[in-house]
Amino acid sequence: MRKGILKAYILKEMSELLRSRLIIMVYLLPTMLMLLFGYGIRMEVTHARIAIIDNDQSRLSNLLVSKFEHSKYFNTTTTVMNESEALRKIKQAQSDAIIIIPASFEKRLLKGQSTQIGVYVDAAFPSRGSTIESYVQGVILNAAAGLIPNATKGSIEINQRTLFNQAMRDEDAIVPGLIGLVLLVAPAIIAALLIVKEKERGTIFNFYASPLSKAEFIAAKLIPVFLLHSLNIFILLLWALYLFEVPFRGSFWIYWVASELYILVSISIGILISVITKTQIVAVVLTVMVTIIPGFMYSGIIMPISSMVGMSRYEAHLFPVMYYNHILYDVFLVGEGLASEKTQLYLVILALYGIIFLSLGTLLLRKEIK
Amino acid sequence: MSRIFWSIVGKELISFIRSWQLVLVVLYMFTMEVYIAGSGIEINPRNVAVGYVDDTAGGLSQKILTHLHGPEFLSPHRFNSQAELSRAIFDKEIIVGLVFDEDFEKKWRQNKRAQLDILMDATAASQAYTTLNYLQHIVLDISKVNIPVDIVTHKLFNQNADNHTFMALTELLSIITMLSIILTAVVFVREKEQGTWDLMLLMPVNPKVIILAKSFSQIIVVMSGIVISLGFIVLGIFNVPLNGSLSAFLLLSFFFVFAGSGIGLFIAAVARDVMQVAQLSIVIMMPLIFLSGAWTPIYAMHPVLQYVSLISPLRYYIEGSESIFYRGTEWIDLWPYFLGVIAVSGIMYLIGFRKIGRLF
Repeated sequence: MRKGILKAYILKEMSELLRSRLIIMVYLLPTMLMLLFGYGIRMEVTHARIAIIDNDQSRLSNLLVSKFEHSKYFNTTTTVMNESEALRKIKQAQSDAIIIIPASFEKRLLKGQSTQIGVYVDAAFPSRGSTIESYVQGVILNAAAGLIPNATKGSIEINQRTLFNQAMRDEDAIVPGLIGLVLLVAPAIIAALLIVKEKERGTIFNFYASPLSKAEFIAAKLIPVFLLHSLNIFILLLWALYLFEVPFRGSFWIYWVASELYILVSISIGILISVITKTQIVAVVLTVMVTIIPGFMYSGIIMPISSMVGMSRYEAHLFPVMYYNHILYDVFLVGEGLASEKTQLYLVILALYGIIFLSLGTLLLRKEIK
Repeated sequence: MSRIFWSIVGKELISFIRSWQLVLVVLYMFTMEVYIAGSGIEINPRNVAVGYVDDTAGGLSQKILTHLHGPEFLSPHRFNSQAELSRAIFDKEIIVGLVFDEDFEKKWRQNKRAQLDILMDATAASQAYTTLNYLQHIVLDISKVNIPVDIVTHKLFNQNADNHTFMALTELLSIITMLSIILTAVVFVREKEQGTWDLMLLMPVNPKVIILAKSFSQIIVVMSGIVISLGFIVLGIFNVPLNGSLSAFLLLSFFFVFAGSGIGLFIAAVARDVMQVAQLSIVIMMPLIFLSGAWTPIYAMHPVLQYVSLISPLRYYIEGSESIFYRGTEWIDLWPYFLGVIAVSGIMYLIGFRKIGRLF
């Protein structure tokens, strides 16, 4: 690569980027996404709206109801409405679940006869429905186990230890993953238009006619965006640490190096798209498609990678976001660092992604009129 | 006047079809993308990876382990030492680790308190919680503590809590949002960028008709996409239950696409080139999609965001569509959604319309 020409081209690209209104977006977009999602996404179900129809109104049923009332997971209303009314509430999406305590609840329990509690859960939103179901069962079982004397004798006690996120805070579980999402989407969307824009406007002929080589052209396009976005690595870290108060247990250096590598990967995805598309609109839609959806779905934020089976497991391994997120979660919550072989491997994989995408982009770029 | 309107619509449709890359991408979004999201993603706590260390002879522990099976659990993975198990949890290969120590079974046989140690990766909180709850069930079952309470659960509308149909629908709604915004915005901005905007100003046609016709042509594109997607993927492959009325859904979609198109008009008025359209639409779209209640129920969000979401047309649209598809809500109970979508999209279209109209 010839330094002089490259430097001139980079300066041109940089000033073009800086001059456009777009420069605000480079810093506004990642921060905005981080704040919106950090406050807006809750995987944990809290304040589930539960209507309890207590047909018994006895001491024991009150005891059970109060267990629900004191749980932070539920917003409980106790009513005496009939079942079809309650069902209508669910149909109007005003209630997430109904619990029906039968009239003979206390009497049967005291006599040692078995009694049934009916639980109706709105599963129109299936994952929320299942979670609410298991929370409800948990509360009822706990209450029941507490009522039975001598239950501890000859029984099995569960001694649980939660790792990494002892307080079970949603922020700790989500914010690191968000960094992975944001640093994938924001750089790619800018890079995706860099070359295709010239194609649509016809200024690409400057490049055809210039002595610039393909690799130099790509480098000139890539370096300004890379530098601008490198600052975001630190901005996002500050939000995570001071706004969302996520712990940081690992090494700062690993975070930095991995993030720079990752930005390189996401920019090269954008550049690759820019090379293969003909119009800007296609480039935009394509970038949205290959970054936002996998960044969210296959990143391990919503669902752990170890739980994926079949196609989705392969897809998760195909997108770079999974590897980066593993390192991120390690750096924030686990703190194993390079001691873990997996982290080492994933760093190498990220580097490979960068190399492969960039070579593909360079290879597919044309330097002559078709 | 209507002749002019329809000829502009026709011209825009033809120029859409001529750009084959765009047609392909749009078709792909409405079909494959919906299909992949629907078939691949499972948010439910399913396939939870469990590991265990067993230092007992293996009677009771095996009995517990046989309860852990699909679809909730992958078959439990045996580790030889606690250190190995911890490593696997640290590497995120295992979410829940069970440790049966030596006197676990002995104590249980002697009618003493046996302790089962569980290590959980709490970053996957909902999986961990469900697993814990499940184990509690098993343990209560096995310890023969007679709890005379039967919990009878009915999952309404989606008995198996099948996530596939839900994801396919959610994905379709997100795609409708994205495309109705981007396509409309680009149709206008491209004229600006290519300089044909000035030609348009010279035409002896009422600019209002031009704006209406141009945005209407993109609404037609998106509506056709919806019909294709519904027919082939959502109802065809995934068999999403349609408990309510299809025409209610289509009507609601139509109003919603208007809102998207209004946002697109607004973006087109502000942006100078496609690059800015891309940036602006992402800035507007991402919050719209992810804060619409599709991922997190509105009432569980930060209070400020709850108020912000009131102006999101997608909020009404998603809740309304879920109600139509799953809850089978009657027309009469759908009015809040129609009211919400129509009011917000009316306002948005009007704002976009006036904003872009000023450029004429």
